[in-house]
Amino acid sequence: MAIRSRTPSSGGSQSMFKKRSTQSLSPTMASAASYLSAVSQADARARTARSPTPTPTATPALSFASTTSSEPTTDIDELDEDDEKFISPLSVPFRPPTSEQVFNTVHTEFGHCASEEFRLTSAHKPGAPIHGHVDKDPPYYILLSTYISYLVLICLGHMRDFLGKRFHPKAYRHLMPHDGYASLNSDFDSFYTRRLKVRMDECFAQPVTGVAGRTIVLLDRVSLDYNRTQVPTGNKTRALNISSYNYLGFAQARGGCADVVEEAIKRYGISTCGSRLEGGTSELHTVAEELVARFVGAEDALISSMGFATNSTIIPALVGKGCLVISDELNHSSIRFGVRQSGAHVRMFRHNDMRSLESLLREVISQGQPKTHRPWKKIMLIVEGLYSMEGTMVNLPAIMNLKESYKFYLFVDEAHSIGAIGPNGRGIADYFGIDPRSIDILMGTFTKSFGAAGGYIAGKKDVIDRLRVKGYSGTYAEAMSIPLLSQVIASMASIMGVTTPTVSSSNSSSTIAIRSHAANGNGHLTDDEYHHPGPVSSKILPSWMTLPPELSSGEEGRTRLRRLAFNSFYLHRGLDKLGFITYGHPASPIVPLILFNPGKMMMFHRMMKDREVPIVVVVVAYPATPLITTRVRFCVSASHTKEDIDCVLRACDEIGDIMDLKHGLAPADRWSIDEICDRAVELVSLPEA
Amino acid sequence: MDTASSTIQPVIAYIAYTLSTLERGFYKLPGSGVIERYVRSSHQNDPGRTFLELVLIVFVIRTLLQSRTRADKDGQHFIEFTPKEIDELVEEWTPEPLASPLDERDLSDLAAVPIIAGSNGPRPKLVNTGKSAYNLASLNFSGLAGNEHIKQRAIETLRQYGVGSCGPPGFYGTVDVHMDLERDIADFLGTEAAILYAQGFATISSVIPSFCKRGDIIVADRGVTLSIQKGIEISRSTVRWFDHNDLQSLEEVLMSVEKERKKKRGPLTRRFIVTEGIFERDGAMVDLPKLIELKEKYKYRLVLDETFSFGTVGRTGRGLTELYNVSASKIDMLVGSVAIGLCAAGGFCAGSQIVVDHQRINGPAFVFSASMPPLLAVSGSEGINILRSSPSILDTLQQNVQAARSILDRVESITIPSHPASPIIHIHLRTPTSTSLAVPLVKPGSHKPSNPLSPLPRDRPRFDIDIEEKILQDIVEEALAQGVLITKAKRPRGMEISEARPSIRLAMTSALTRKETEKAVGIVKAAIVKVLARRR
Repeated sequence: MAIRSRTPSSGGSQSMFKKRSTQSLSPTMASAASYLSAVSQADARARTARSPTPTPTATPALSFASTTSSEPTTDIDELDEDDEKFISPLSVPFRPPTSEQVFNTVHTEFGHCASEEFRLTSAHKPGAPIHGHVDKDPPYYILLSTYISYLVLICLGHMRDFLGKRFHPKAYRHLMPHDGYASLNSDFDSFYTRRLKVRMDECFAQPVTGVAGRTIVLLDRVSLDYNRTQVPTGNKTRALNISSYNYLGFAQARGGCADVVEEAIKRYGISTCGSRLEGGTSELHTVAEELVARFVGAEDALISSMGFATNSTIIPALVGKGCLVISDELNHSSIRFGVRQSGAHVRMFRHNDMRSLESLLREVISQGQPKTHRPWKKIMLIVEGLYSMEGTMVNLPAIMNLKESYKFYLFVDEAHSIGAIGPNGRGIADYFGIDPRSIDILMGTFTKSFGAAGGYIAGKKDVIDRLRVKGYSGTYAEAMSIPLLSQVIASMASIMGVTTPTVSSSNSSSTIAIRSHAANGNGHLTDDEYHHPGPVSSKILPSWMTLPPELSSGEEGRTRLRRLAFNSFYLHRGLDKLGFITYGHPASPIVPLILFNPGKMMMFHRMMKDREVPIVVVVVAYPATPLITTRVRFCVSASHTKEDIDCVLRACDEIGDIMDLKHGLAPADRWSIDEICDRAVELVSLPEA
Repeated sequence: MDTASSTIQPVIAYIAYTLSTLERGFYKLPGSGVIERYVRSSHQNDPGRTFLELVLIVFVIRTLLQSRTRADKDGQHFIEFTPKEIDELVEEWTPEPLASPLDERDLSDLAAVPIIAGSNGPRPKLVNTGKSAYNLASLNFSGLAGNEHIKQRAIETLRQYGVGSCGPPGFYGTVDVHMDLERDIADFLGTEAAILYAQGFATISSVIPSFCKRGDIIVADRGVTLSIQKGIEISRSTVRWFDHNDLQSLEEVLMSVEKERKKKRGPLTRRFIVTEGIFERDGAMVDLPKLIELKEKYKYRLVLDETFSFGTVGRTGRGLTELYNVSASKIDMLVGSVAIGLCAAGGFCAGSQIVVDHQRINGPAFVFSASMPPLLAVSGSEGINILRSSPSILDTLQQNVQAARSILDRVESITIPSHPASPIIHIHLRTPTSTSLAVPLVKPGSHKPSNPLSPLPRDRPRFDIDIEEKILQDIVEEALAQGVLITKAKRPRGMEISEARPSIRLAMTSALTRKETEKAVGIVKAAIVKVLARRR
């Protein structure tokens, strides 16, 4: 809902962006209080604004200068349900294409950006220092007020519970024992949800429709009963999407990959009916597994239909009683879930802290198993390539050094880094220039960079074969469905590039050649033309699959990788230069901006969404993060244009001033927003501090 | 002495100065006067109390400073080593290999896994043989695989939504088609609400721990499938087991739990009965009306896994509730599979609004996983529409099940533990594979209950896994040579609470006609007879 009228520009689409920068949050909205009151007014307006006549909700003070019907406006009444492309500033590229530029993507899904200067290849420079995770501290008053806010919230919550149970016992019925049944969830366990999360429910589980690409269409909703329920208003809003895990922009309903998926559905149907070992294996599964193995540079790979379940069903097949799992303290819930199922002993080390890891290793190896002091059967270190809440990249070179002396097995969860990191998109090993075969287990998901769903495990052939038999997913879980398989194959092949068998890939940087698997019994991996990380031979791809030339040449894949790297660096450094506290590595497409005060979460979310160009963001707080570091998490995509990132930066700049969020860089070192937008290329190419 | 006192003097002066500065600083603080008066008067009244409070303060500080992820460093089991000793120990330690290579049988089984070329359905073409075969292995009960209408709708959805949803449900991964499918499932079953999970297998292992916590009581069947076992394990609840599909045993266990609670006078905890509708392990079917009667009598909540009964039994495939004409709202958490029942992907849990909302925040596989791809959700919705509008699908399926059973029940050398209406039919070998391992006969009258604490029953059926698996694999290969694709029920041996008896699992489908089913099952029968005859 707009807090101001959505003023359409008078000068066509080009001036939209410029105009916004000057007129956005007007000086009268300088304080948070006035903003909030404006928001509530806008809400009230929106509730009544379901009248059939498309009356603009503009206040008379602001001119409404629309003259032609083709003007891009975002009046909610114009968001017609049947209209596929909503007319919104987001539907029109910032720079109109010239006659020689042909874009094969839909701008709302994958932004048009022809400017070659907004590209970057990111790789670790050998020998460059790797910084661990640094907690940047805010001023003390911020810390204090954050703790006080939680204190107030908790006290209020308990007071409401206390009074509510006495005066409204009906509303608390499900929290109290009744009819001889214990309560389904105790009021203590659900306290956080009922008393803290509910307050900002509008930030979570927002229903959407359409493609989760560069933009996303929100199904607007309001709550009329203090967030107990959310009622859809029936309106839709197209917003800039800087929240979905769509790193390479493969979430597309049009284009080469979607065509392949359509063809696959026609040929194979939807489901493969059953588990992998019991009649649910399609030939596409074997193709996808071969392709994944080549993509990550491992001997063999297996795929599973759900990313979360990949960890939770595979880890128990790798470690068990008498084994030790060393886990980073910020590892994803699926890893913890899997480790708990395995029955192995677990120890944690401080996030990405190599010294803490080494001292832990020395302790556990010398002490052996608790009480008995027997040596551990195996020690497996589980780390993530890119941490989903912090944006930190694992210090892989240091871990490889430790691995040599301490002989543990290494499991790298590349859920977020595969496809998104490294000059060839092959993940964390590619970024650091480390041989992927020296990592014992590479795990990743297809949800993020490949626009599909599901996960994979890659490693040595005998290990993977064992997991096929002993992992639960092979026997019990449904196999990955056809549309997902074909999307994975098509998107992965287009990142790698495809060679026809006659043309040998002579110019690819050959590091490790895939050995011939013909002798290994399975007999389906026969070509040894593949050089990691190079293009893949079309022989292993399904013969019916045809990718358009820009995809099969790998040209578009490379562009996507370079656009993603540019956008990641740009947003990360831009926010830093504006004075915000951010976490993580600049090459990471995950950019967390730390808010601290829990009360700022919903404000930030709303102010971003209520802008002229609405932006949707993810806000996270305790328990997903430490209590104090409530944050906004941006997920940059290759589908964003430089102008989209400008737009996000501008929005953050304004909101940051209103909400007092700039506690990072000293004011003297900061850049102004215009300076950042103008000198983006320079900013991105700055050497690492 | 002089030198000593001259060196000490400045130290004392410094301490005195610091103390006076601290004192002045303390009095400058607002409210310090109150504290001072309080301490003074309390010391005057009771000097012992000052000492006690000091001890308390020290204790609080110590507790705060202690690290929470403390190892047993200060425990009695910690041994101090010098760095050199540690180096030597590190040098000495050799880990076991990450995975021991597979043995011959596993390798040959893996090589024999059927790979389907092209579309899966009643008669798919196999990569292994290059020929097409009747398919009694894949789970296509309702015959929706390859349905042209569903394909068409999926493609339309693809063109509108893309493939992946690219986010967990909490963060822009809740697409309108998910909400539609959830509503469709709830309407279809007659519950208040339903929630979708991205994988059928992960559903129940996430549903159980989202409700059952430490200290809660789970009463579970001994024959539950692995996903339930894992869910129970993760929940860390107190588990009591009852004999497989034996509701009398269940009642005994329920009574013993109640007795225990009365004896201990413990608080009322959450109590759950966890079982399956049609058991994955053997196709047995639970007596739902009786189960509900027990659950209501003893005030337990019921978690029912309908993975193999949703979409396969009942007039229109609503599952056991439709078969037994029981209201689905009597089942607190009804878990089913969209992947198996509707030939799409994912799973669901249906129940009251409170049950569903609870999972939206507390179900690990829901919260931490990307949501189901929209086109698969639409396929699920279309599947429900088709089931609703054409009851003939389930009729055909039941006829095929009966046809298959009428052939197989007459085979002497096998036993079938599955319920006559179950669309999955498990085949066990009757012949004792070795005389020493003969199944002990339970004398009728001498019924002694099993220990509810142990997942293993009292009279454990004994069987030789290796020999039986070998014979069954021979039967599978013989049948495939004759043009029928069947499969052993695959088990990750050594990973489950108890080993399931090796079996061949036939999955009936309504996509085959009665004639075709009879022909295919006839071939299976011939293969069984032939292989077993060869071994004698």
